[in-house]
This record gives sequence, structure tokens and C-alpha cells, in this order.
Amino acid sequence: MPETIPWLTFLVFAPLLGVVVLLLVPRRQTRLLRLIAVAAALLPLALSLWLFGQYDAAVPDQFREQAAWMNVALNREALSGSVTSFIYQFQYDLALDGISLPLVLLAAFIGCMAALASVNIRKRRKSYYVWFLLLETGMLGVFLARDLLLFFLFFELTLVAMFFLIAIWGYFDREKAANTFLIYNGLGSAVMLFAFILLIYTAGFQAVEAAGSVELIYSGSYDAIAANLLNPEAYVNLAPNLMDGDNPFYMSGEMRWTVFILLLVAFGIKLPIVPLHTWMLHVHKEAPVPVVMIHSGVLLKMGAYGLLRFGMFLFPAEAREAAAVIAWLGLASILYGALLALRQHDFKLVLAYSSLSHMGIVLLGLASFNEIGIQGAVFQLVSHGLISALLFLIAGSIQERTGTTELAELGGLARSVPFISGVLLAGGLASLGLPGLSGFVGEFLSFLGLFESMKVVTVLAAAGMVITAAYVLRSVLGITFGPLRESGEELRDARLIEAVPMIALLAFIILLGLYPSVLTGTTADSLQAFLSQLRVGG
Amino acid sequence: MDTVYSHYAWLIPIFPLGAFLILAAAGRGMRTAGSVTAMAASLASLVLSVLVLLERLNGRAAEYNASFDWIATRGFQLSIGYDVTNLTALMLAMVSLISFLVSMYSAGYMKNDDRITVFYAYISLFTFSMLGLVLADNLLMLYMFWELVGVCSFLLIGFWYTKPAAKAAAKKAFLVTRVGDVGLLIAVLMLFWYMPEHELSFSAIQNVFNEGQSGLIAQGITTAIALLIFTGAIGKSGQFPLHVWLPDAMEGPTPISALIHAATMVAAGVFLIARTYSIFEASAAAMETVAFIGAFTALFAASIAMVQKDLKRILAYSTISQLGFMMLALGAGSLTGGIFHLLTHAFFKALLFLGAGSVIHAVHTQNIHEMGGLGQRMRITAWTFGIGALALAGVPPLSGFWSKDAILAAVLDEGHPLLFAAGLAASLLTALYMSRLFFLVFGGKSGAKTGAKTGSRKVLESPLVMTVPLVVLAVPAALLGLVELPWEGWGKLGSWLLGSTYSPQHDSSAVVMIMSTAVAALGLYIGWLVYGKGMISRTAAAARLPWLVNVLENKYYIDELYRYCIVRPVLGIGTLLVLFDRYIVGGAVRLAGGLAVLAGKAGTRMQNGQVQTYGLLTAAGLVILIVAVAGRRFW
Repeated sequence: MPETIPWLTFLVFAPLLGVVVLLLVPRRQTRLLRLIAVAAALLPLALSLWLFGQYDAAVPDQFREQAAWMNVALNREALSGSVTSFIYQFQYDLALDGISLPLVLLAAFIGCMAALASVNIRKRRKSYYVWFLLLETGMLGVFLARDLLLFFLFFELTLVAMFFLIAIWGYFDREKAANTFLIYNGLGSAVMLFAFILLIYTAGFQAVEAAGSVELIYSGSYDAIAANLLNPEAYVNLAPNLMDGDNPFYMSGEMRWTVFILLLVAFGIKLPIVPLHTWMLHVHKEAPVPVVMIHSGVLLKMGAYGLLRFGMFLFPAEAREAAAVIAWLGLASILYGALLALRQHDFKLVLAYSSLSHMGIVLLGLASFNEIGIQGAVFQLVSHGLISALLFLIAGSIQERTGTTELAELGGLARSVPFISGVLLAGGLASLGLPGLSGFVGEFLSFLGLFESMKVVTVLAAAGMVITAAYVLRSVLGITFGPLRESGEELRDARLIEAVPMIALLAFIILLGLYPSVLTGTTADSLQAFLSQLRVGG
Repeated sequence: MDTVYSHYAWLIPIFPLGAFLILAAAGRGMRTAGSVTAMAASLASLVLSVLVLLERLNGRAAEYNASFDWIATRGFQLSIGYDVTNLTALMLAMVSLISFLVSMYSAGYMKNDDRITVFYAYISLFTFSMLGLVLADNLLMLYMFWELVGVCSFLLIGFWYTKPAAKAAAKKAFLVTRVGDVGLLIAVLMLFWYMPEHELSFSAIQNVFNEGQSGLIAQGITTAIALLIFTGAIGKSGQFPLHVWLPDAMEGPTPISALIHAATMVAAGVFLIARTYSIFEASAAAMETVAFIGAFTALFAASIAMVQKDLKRILAYSTISQLGFMMLALGAGSLTGGIFHLLTHAFFKALLFLGAGSVIHAVHTQNIHEMGGLGQRMRITAWTFGIGALALAGVPPLSGFWSKDAILAAVLDEGHPLLFAAGLAASLLTALYMSRLFFLVFGGKSGAKTGAKTGSRKVLESPLVMTVPLVVLAVPAALLGLVELPWEGWGKLGSWLLGSTYSPQHDSSAVVMIMSTAVAALGLYIGWLVYGKGMISRTAAAARLPWLVNVLENKYYIDELYRYCIVRPVLGIGTLLVLFDRYIVGGAVRLAGGLAVLAGKAGTRMQNGQVQTYGLLTAAGLVILIVAVAGRRFW
């Protein structure tokens, strides 16, 4: 029975199972280590696929697991009259809905592909895989957590794991990249934590009445906060008579805006939004290939997810008022990223700025405040996850063969490595939004949604697609077309172990491009709930 | 009447798709088997298309539509589906016929290429996309296939990817057409939000904009939508000012130039407008724009074709010019004229390109000044090319004469004397550049020049696999005009396409016929005098009007204009932003980090073990505390 078995816990902690097994294996058994790591990454993929099969789009939050993890007793003076306890409750709370599901699938899939791609990691394999699997647990947890602090813990877990993965296994300038990453993202986390604490301290208040006694609880429970924010009257009125007329939970308009803006900044760093993007460049350039696949494919999506889940769902009225700002920020990211990608000399940096540009499309979709646009944003998250993972994987394969990703030093690879070049071309076409591949759907739905309310922004963003095509073709054709350089003649095409993740990623890009309903079907109902709430509220 | 084959019309594009998948998967192991697979697939498409066409020719068959949800949620729906109408049936037959002939021809032309399997894979993918484009029953689906044919075109232009010119041409083709595609995309967005029920299907569009008036959508919006759709057509069909990619696209293999860049894909813009014609009819401004751009392009491109030296580029400019004629027809309100010319042009221009390919295959050069006297060596090529050239020049009774005549008559009847004059002038130039081309390539004594310039190699007629398609294409190039004659009761094509509302008769038909025949004859005669007989010196024009020839040879400097006004500034902005990103954005981040480090250093310096420093710090802290506590009262 799905209700009684904690499937989501299994899902989140399946990679940790791998960690435990890994610790028991001697470090010299490299094949075995790799096998265990891949198996440990396959397990969540299998589980999430099974959950996808079981998922019923009509039911709001599924496979819910809720437990009070810790109760911290607060000020005893409040215990008067019928109030029997006054506590802070730290909840363990996981749930799956139509927004989480696609991202969980994405995380599990990219994780698995990245584990396969880790074959090129040559030093300290054991600790690499341990950090890798910890990272996977963190990102799965982020998309499933429904308690603010639990979310924060998972979020931080990814930061720590990323830090070590970059700093130890990265390329030349790895330590600087890792430090920049940690400090900048740490700053984002601090802002996020501040916003969460404000939320917990205000809207996180619940008064549970039972048989003549009242329990006063502060918690980071997402549902409680969402309910309180949705209906401020109820909880504002509830508080005074319980608390002798004193109402510490009231959330003024300024407070709501403060929290919303803090969240926008915190998740804007992660997404990233111009001009908070500089940290990302170093990571994309210096981190090892599988880690960049995960970073660009999944971790950036946590920013958008957080923005949607905590920014927009909790503060729909504020978000709606800020829609124009979000859309213009998105447009700025699109054009800024695209123009900079056009002038980069390193293929990895082209991809890095292209991520910035494509995440701008997500902002456009979110700013639309209709189902089409938000569907488009979620779709774009998944689609860009797959596409950028594929492109970074190929960049890694090229770097492994030629020792460089500098565009000026590459050319004509289509002759010596036709398979890799072909996949690169396909990935590039997906990235520039060719119909039939997933990139188009996300882009089109985002534009279509936004066009209803903001025509000028949409038209400018659509015009930006010409620049996207320009930088994609410039770099992809620069690498694959043209005369072959002497150094490139001896190169070997992809081995099977490299080809498998490439083909798998491409297959999903094509599947989503041809049959987007796979994804849109699951997202629709969750969004409907949000949108109807918006209609009531606004 | 019951429709049988129309139900299976969806299979028509599926055959080449299957061939593409087989070729893509089976890879390099196949050579002959690969080309046979592709040919068999396009033959299957051809047979089914012809069956569908025959079914529709009976006249009473109902239009067939089937549509499915692509993305459907509670909030919105986007569907895909296919439509079998007279127009689509006609296009299907034309596309699959030319595709089949080109596949066959390529077996000879590309015989020695290592990557012939890849070539056939791309051709199959293109045929699939083009047939899908034709069958699409709504604008979004059409847009998707529209992009796919664009990508196939891009891949095939860049087929010889090691050549820098091919790489540049492929990139240029993609980017320039993408500019137009953005327009089309915005048109889709607008239609989605302005159409009732968010309908994008062509039948719904026709209903809403019916009879040239729609009460539902404001006039300004209608015009905007029409012009945006036209922007897409400008890009794809190489109309001014987005024509620059098409001549460069000649870097691709010649069979591709025939299939994609002459007969099918570039005509997709015309097809698109025909498919959404009710929107255009609802906006006089849009119609006028289409007509003017078309007429201008027709004349403009024909003038450039006069002085080019590359055999294929001349034909490319000729294609641009003829597409301009089609646009002119649509803009002047003659849907039949546009489609009629699309059809005849598809055949005679495919014929001309394949003939050109046959010549290039034999002499290994594309410069017409290095050719000559090929008429005696390559008789089949010369004869069929001649038929194509005469059809293009508009000589009666070949197909091009009738279709061009229909356009010119419609323009004159609509009361556009200026446009009519432009069309007539373009016709004159067309006859002139075609006779120049023909006499330079095929005329003159055999062997004299060719022998010298192409080495001692003997020039031979192409193999049968290449000449048979030429002969097959020569038949419709000569005779297809008979489906639509400008007399009462003879306008079979128009009445079949448009139904009872169509009347083929134009008041000025006879005048136009005489004028256009005279113009074509004059052009051919002058060409013969200059390039055939040599009575007038070839350099006479260049000597008298050097600046004009210079401007024409440089194609009016449009490429340079784009380079300096668009490409360079965009790259410049990019460079500025790189600096901005590095020094301003990055600098701010470094500054913030630096300040933190600085504060830390300052703090460290305070911890120096000296009592004086600690005392000072304590005092400072005390002051702050006092101010804070005391100040709070006044806050």
C-alpha cells in the first residue's frame, strides 16, 4: 500500500544506501566502486519512474510522509489557561505533487547519467562517489521537502557536496571556483534562511485545539504557512483571544514584501538572474563533467523551483504585482546571456551563458501567471536540464580527447568523431529551440503564456531567439564543421560507456519534444490549484 | 463521394521518415541499399499522393481532416492533425514527385561521395518535413515543420562541411530565415490569443476571417497578423530584404538546390500565405505590402541575375525573382495565379537545376564563362534545359507562359499599372538572363572553350539515372500550363481549387498575352544577339554603365549593409557586455568580497596584544552602547 510505505523516504535516501555500501568496499576495487555508484543512482531513478506510474494527477499531495522530528519547548509563560504546550516543531515532511514530480524525475535521471559519465574520474574514486551520492540525496530532498527547515537542510547538503566535488575533482582553477561558489551561494542561503525564519516566526504559527486544551506550535510546515498566508483573517483573529489580545503573528504588507523580495534574491542567485550570475561561470568551467551536468541540469532548477514553490505559491499577490519586474529580469537574462554567449571563446562558457539565457525563459513563463506560461516554465526546467546535461557531457568528451574546449583550437571534428559531433549538433538544435525537440516546447509555452499579459517583452524575447541560434551555430559549427585540424585526426569516437548517456539524454529530449503531454499532464492539476487560489486571492 | 485514400494521407510523410530512421540507425554500413531505401520510400509517398490527388480530382470528395491533442490540459489545448484539401493534395503530389526524381538523380550525382547515406538520410528527413508541412491542419504544426524543413535545408547546405564557404552559407541560411520565423512565431502567438476558442486550425482561421471581413478581430490586429505571417514567408521564400541566404545556399549539392531551394521549401512561403489567405484578404494593407514586396523582389533579383557568373547563383536569383512573381500574384488577389506559378515553377526550375547539375557534373566548374559548346556533347541535357529555360522565359505555349500571364493579367485587372510594369520588366530581364545563360553554356562551338578550360577531360553526357529525371521533368515543364488557360471554361485549376466562385477570365488577358510574348521574344532575341551570335559586344553595357554593372555584381551591397549595420553592431554590443560583465558586475562582486576581507584584516590588526588598542576599542564600544540605549528614547 502506497499510503503506509514511506516511498519518498526510500527515494531520497536510496543514494545513501549506496554510500553505506561504498564505505565497505576497499578503495582499490575501482570497477566495483563504479558499479555500486551507478546502481545507487539507478535505484532512485527506478523508484521515481515507479512513482510516476503510480501518480494520480487529480490528487493534490501524494505519498505524504509527515512526522514531528523534534519539539523544542518555548517560553513557558505562555502556558496559561487552556494552553498546554508552546513549542517549536521541526517536521519531517515529504510530499509529491505535479511540480515536484517532473523535477524529481529529472534529478534522478540526470543523476544516473552523471554517474555513468563519472567513468573519467580518476582520482580518489571512493570519496568522489560518496560526495556524489550525498549530492543526489540533497537534490532529491530539495524537491520533496515540505518543511522549510528540512528544505534548507537538503539545500545546504547540495552546497557542501558541490564544494568538495569542485574543489577536489575540478580542473585547473578548481579551488577558486569552489570558494566563489560556496561564498556566493552561502550568501544566498543566508538570505533564504533569514526569509524562512521570518516566515516561521509569523505565518508558521498554529494553534491546535483539542479537547479543551490548546497547543501553540511554531513550525516550518509549508502547508501551515501556506494556509495562514492564504487566509490571514483566520489566523489573525485566532491569535488575540488565545494570546490575551496580543498578536505577534500579524504579517504586515511590508513584511510580506520583505520576505518575498528576500526569497527572490535568494533563489535568484541560484537560478541565476542577471546580475547575480558570476559565480556560475567558474563552476561551469572548472567543475568535473558529471558535476557540471548535475549542476547545470538540476541544481540551477532548485532556484526556479524555490521561486515557484515559496515565492509565488506563498505570496501570489506580491508575485503578481512583481510579474512585470520578473518578466523584465527574465528578458534581461535572455538577451544578456545570449549576447555574452556570442562572444565567448570557450565552449563551456558559451554553455554557461546559455544557461543564464535559458533560465530567463523560465522567468518569463513564471511571470505569465497563467497555466500555459507556468507549464512552459516547468517544462523548460526539465528540458533545459536534459539539454544542458547533454551538452556539458559532450563538452567533457571533447575536452578529454583534445585537451581543450577553446573554440579557436577546435574545428572539423565531424570527420574524426562523427558520432559525438552528430549528438552535439542535435543537442545544439535542441538548445536553440527546434520543434520536435524538448527545447521548443518550453520556450513556446512560456512565450505563449506571457503574450497574454506582456506582449512587448514576449516579442523582444522571441527576437532574442535569433541571437540564441547565432551563438549555438557559431560554437557548434565551429567545433564540428570546417577543415579538420591535424591534431584531430587520431581521435577516437565515443566509447559505448560514453554513448549510452548521450543516447539516453537525446532520446528523452526527443520524446518530450514530440509528446510533451507526458509532462504537462502531471503538472496541470497542481497548477490549477494554484491558479484558482490566485483568482480567489487576487 | 467517399474518401478512401485521404484517410491514409498521414502515411505519405511517414514513408520518408521511416527511411530516415533506418538510414540514421544503420549508418555507414549501407551505400546502395541506403539510396534504394530512400528512393523506395519517396516512391511509396509518390504513389499514395497521386492516389489522393486522383481521388480529389473527381471533384466531389469532401475535405478530410483528422486531429489529435498534442498538449491538452484543463486550461488549454494545442493539437496536431492533417488536412486533405485540393490545395494540399496538389502540393503533396508535386513535392513527392520532385523528391522522388531528385532522389533518383542523386544516385548518379552523389555516387562518389563518402557520405551518400547521410545525404539520403537528410533528403528523407526533408521530404518528411515538407510533406508534413503541407499536410498540417493548423498553424502551430505548420510552424514546427516549417522549422524542420529549415534545419534540413541548413544541414544539406552544409553537407560538404569541411568547406568554409558551405559552413558559412549554412549558418547564414539558418539565421536569416530564423529572423522571418520569429515573425511567424509571433503571428502564432497573436492568433492563439485573438482567435475565439484559441483555435489555430486553418479551417477555423478561414471561418473567422471569412469573406475578407471579421467582426471578431480588429483591423489593426488582422493586418499585424498578416504581416507577421508574411515575414515568415519573406524569410523562407527569399523575398527582399531577407533574400540574401538563398544565393549562398547554392554551396549545397545541386540536387538539393533543385529540391529544396527551387521547387519545394522556398515555395513554402507562398503555400503558407495561400493557406492563411483569408487573413490577407481581410487586410488591404497587407495585400498591398505582399504585392509590392513581390514585384520589387521579382525585378530586383532578375537584375542581379543579369551579371552573375556562377551557373547556380543565376538560377538562385531567378528563383528569388520567380517567387516574387508568386507573391505579386497573391498580393494582387489571385490565389490561383500564385499557386499555378508555384506549380509550373517547381517543375521547370527543378529541371533547370538538375540540368545545371548535369553540366557541373560533366565540366566540374560553375562559372558560365568557362563553359560553352556543351550543346553538342550533352544533347539530352541541352534539350531539356532549353525547354526549362523557355518555360521560365515565358514563351508560349510552355507552362511558364500561362502561369506568368495569369499573374500579369490579374495585376493589371486589379488596377496596379506600376506593379504590372515591374512584372513586365522582370519578364524581359528573365528572358534576357536565361538566353545569356543558355548561349554561354550550351552555345558556341563544341570543344573550343570547354576543352581549354576544363583540361583535357572529355565532356560526356550524364548517365541515364540523371537524364531520365530531366526528361520526366521536361514534360510538365512544357505542358502543365494547359491546366489553367485564361478562357471561360478552361480555368480548370482555379475552379478546382476555389470552387464555383472562381472566374478565370481577365478583361485584359489578350493584351497581356501579346505584351508578355513580345517581351519574352525581345529578351531572348537580344540575348541571342549578344551571347549567341555575338553581334553586340558583351562588354558594351559594362563599358557604358560601369557603376551599374558594379552595383549589380555586388548584389546592391545588401550583404555589406547587413554586415555593417546589423552583424557588427550586435557583436560590438556583445563585446561591450563582456567588458561590463567582467569589470562592472564581476567588479562589484569582487569589491564586496574585498570589503569583507578588508574588514577582517582590520579586525585582525586590532588584536595586537596592546592594552592601549583594547582600551580604545572598549571605549568605542561603550560609547556605542550608551548612544544606543539613550538614543532609543528619542526614536
